[in-house]
Amino acid sequence: MATFEYEGVSIQVDEDGFMEEPEKWNEEVAKALASTEGVTELTEDHWKVVNYLRDYYLKFGVAPMIRKLCKESKYSLKQIYELFPSGPAKGACKVAGLPKPTGCV
Amino acid sequence: MSDPTDMMIADAGIDEGIKKLTPERIEQTIRHVLDNESAARMKVYLETCVHCGLCAEACHTYNSRDRDPDYAPVAKVKNTLWEMVKRKGKVDGPFLKNAARIAFTECGACRRCSMYCPFGIDIAYQIMTVRRICSLLGLVPQYLQDTTNSHAVTSNQMWVQPDDWIDTLMWQEEEAMSELSGARIPLDKEGADVFYSVIAPEPKILAQLIGNMAVIMKAANIDWTMPSADGWDNSNMAMYSGDFEVMGRVERAHWERAAQLRVKRIVMGECGHAYRGAVYDGPKWLAWKQPPIPMVHAVEFYYELIKSGKLVIKRKIEEPVTVQDPCNIVRGRGLHDKLRYVIKALCEDFRDMEPRHEHNYCCAAGGGVINCGPPWKLSRMKSIRCKADQLAATKASLIITPCHNCHSGIEDIIGHYKLGMHVKFINELLVKAIDLES
Repeated sequence: MATFEYEGVSIQVDEDGFMEEPEKWNEEVAKALASTEGVTELTEDHWKVVNYLRDYYLKFGVAPMIRKLCKESKYSLKQIYELFPSGPAKGACKVAGLPKPTGCV
Repeated sequence: MSDPTDMMIADAGIDEGIKKLTPERIEQTIRHVLDNESAARMKVYLETCVHCGLCAEACHTYNSRDRDPDYAPVAKVKNTLWEMVKRKGKVDGPFLKNAARIAFTECGACRRCSMYCPFGIDIAYQIMTVRRICSLLGLVPQYLQDTTNSHAVTSNQMWVQPDDWIDTLMWQEEEAMSELSGARIPLDKEGADVFYSVIAPEPKILAQLIGNMAVIMKAANIDWTMPSADGWDNSNMAMYSGDFEVMGRVERAHWERAAQLRVKRIVMGECGHAYRGAVYDGPKWLAWKQPPIPMVHAVEFYYELIKSGKLVIKRKIEEPVTVQDPCNIVRGRGLHDKLRYVIKALCEDFRDMEPRHEHNYCCAAGGGVINCGPPWKLSRMKSIRCKADQLAATKASLIITPCHNCHSGIEDIIGHYKLGMHVKFINELLVKAIDLES
């Protein structure tokens, strides 16, 4: 566990840079985490993805399938990668304050 | 001695389990595994090892951690299984925490050491026996246990629900159709030539890999199918967490689904451990003489398609490329020449690794190690410095990894050691390289 600090935000992250305490997530935290994933500015498109992931996680306790994310957000897989260069799991989920998915990833 | 920082790592999966143990339960469990479950070969291995230490330099953990003798394979066995045997199962909580750390996070069961052992002792088997004991005692890293729990409930490793699975396939069929007219993902087609199975991270996150395969199958004109229900996930993390009951169930589901559809053979996606589970560990646990249907790994399948001319390569990759030989399909199955045939057909500038083939270094992610999750990431990076040096020496910019664990593990190595390289599956290159017109 380590402390990650960025522009006034201070949070605990695991060794992959995911939040240790997802309940402490807020929009400022999202911006701070985005800076670690090659996203300099969170646009409306980014927020649509982030908010969907966040809501799904709070409701079901896991990240949604990539299919669900694309279907609900109306973005193609290609667009998701354009928004989050490190991909939906390591990029978008991290910014949305989800823990690292378990499994071969 | 072992790195003190790593010895302090907290993992609820291990730490909370230890609190629930009693000396009686520990002793009974260890004796049960040693007396009733481990085969005669365990006794032979324990009695044959002469502690020569030749296994040490074979191990990436030892080489990457300044050749500290505590990380030699022989030491990993000595500090875990040998002590359990010597003390007849009378070991305590702190001993087991140490043993779990060694067995789950400092050995990837890649079996490189066995090749350098003068007697060919399967040291990974001994480490897996330690994991088995840990699993029965409820001492499994939390992230890894979660994948086993998912296998137990859903059969797949990432909590993918049945409707989500089918929806994903239909979606990827549409994506494939937009690339190549007539591409389909036929579900449950009885008697098909090929039953294609994947690992759960594909539908969950990397769905494009399934769409790519649909394009490849159409381009090569293959009669194929994918199953609509359980048995589609060929991965098996229970094999690595030591929950062999769940491991056996998962392997049986995969084989039985294929048998039920009366397919001619199974083709598996680009995953190494899944191959090992389906071909070796699964059938052995199920007491099958041999699996009911032939099976090939994607590398072998691509080799056949290119060699026979069913797939025609139109555009080659120009950037400098190297390839990671995954332990389970190269050391375990000897696919290195076929792998190179495919790579050379696809790439202009291929730069091989040194050492290579069955002597290649592990990615340090396989064997369930990356699945132990973020608490162990830095420890894993410390254990694989030699791989970073090996990758950098190729001066390639692209690393092809025909295994999911190798893929994620090498991505981590690139990031941690700032190598400025990137990784791809063969599938991703193939779909861009083949001639979709003819």
